[in-house]
Amino acid sequence: MEIKTLVVDNQMSELSKVVDFLDELGEDWGLPAGLVFSLNLVMEEALTNIILYGFEDNNRHTIDINFGKSAAEELSITIIDDGLPYDPTLKADPDLSLSVEERPIGGLGIFLIKKIMDKVEYQRNNSNNFLILTKNINS
Amino acid sequence: MNVKITTLPDYTLISVEGRVDTTTSAGLEKTLMESIDGGCTKIILDCSGINYISSSGLRVFLVIQKKMISIKGHFNLCNLQPGIREIFDISGFSSIFSIFPDKEAAMIG
Repeated sequence: MEIKTLVVDNQMSELSKVVDFLDELGEDWGLPAGLVFSLNLVMEEALTNIILYGFEDNNRHTIDINFGKSAAEELSITIIDDGLPYDPTLKADPDLSLSVEERPIGGLGIFLIKKIMDKVEYQRNNSNNFLILTKNINS
Repeated sequence: MNVKITTLPDYTLISVEGRVDTTTSAGLEKTLMESIDGGCTKIILDCSGINYISSSGLRVFLVIQKKMISIKGHFNLCNLQPGIREIFDISGFSSIFSIFPDKEAAMIG
């Protein structure tokens, strides 16, 4: 198992750090360009939720992100934050059959994560949220 | 993200380049809303330069589409890169937007 770690603050400006990190990760691990694109999206959606809604105070918090690649070519991303408990796996999927007028604005971020990744799991341990995302690299 | 606006007699052509994400989407929404408030009822959005979109960007597209429908206008998208088209498909946006393969088709549509 190969592992790489990224730590970001709970600031929107940190997202550019993630873009650079994923570019490098894609090169180091030889990930397909399409997958790097998808991972950018998944990370933006997950981190934006944590940064915007995860904290009630104005303090600086760190968010740990661990990337793993197994011998079986499975990519795993674990995002750990000490924000409010929030289980995104419980969020209902949007109704895609609605007309433009009926479609609510927003609510697509978590749905995109679920559609892109093979598996989305959540755990709450020691006052931390653990969001564990996995995807086969070649799927 | 860069936005180029060309106002023509029958429509306004807006070309967007770069990332439409959490940090840039508000700027795009402002630009598009200003065009609509300025009386534009047909927008052709050339998406050929968009290389990334997140839910923040999709949100702007939906806001504009709702607005255009309410004023009986047209919001025609063209030249979506495959990766962007895939996100539209996943989100169910491909069925609620007018998407054309190129600018010429979007002009007629």
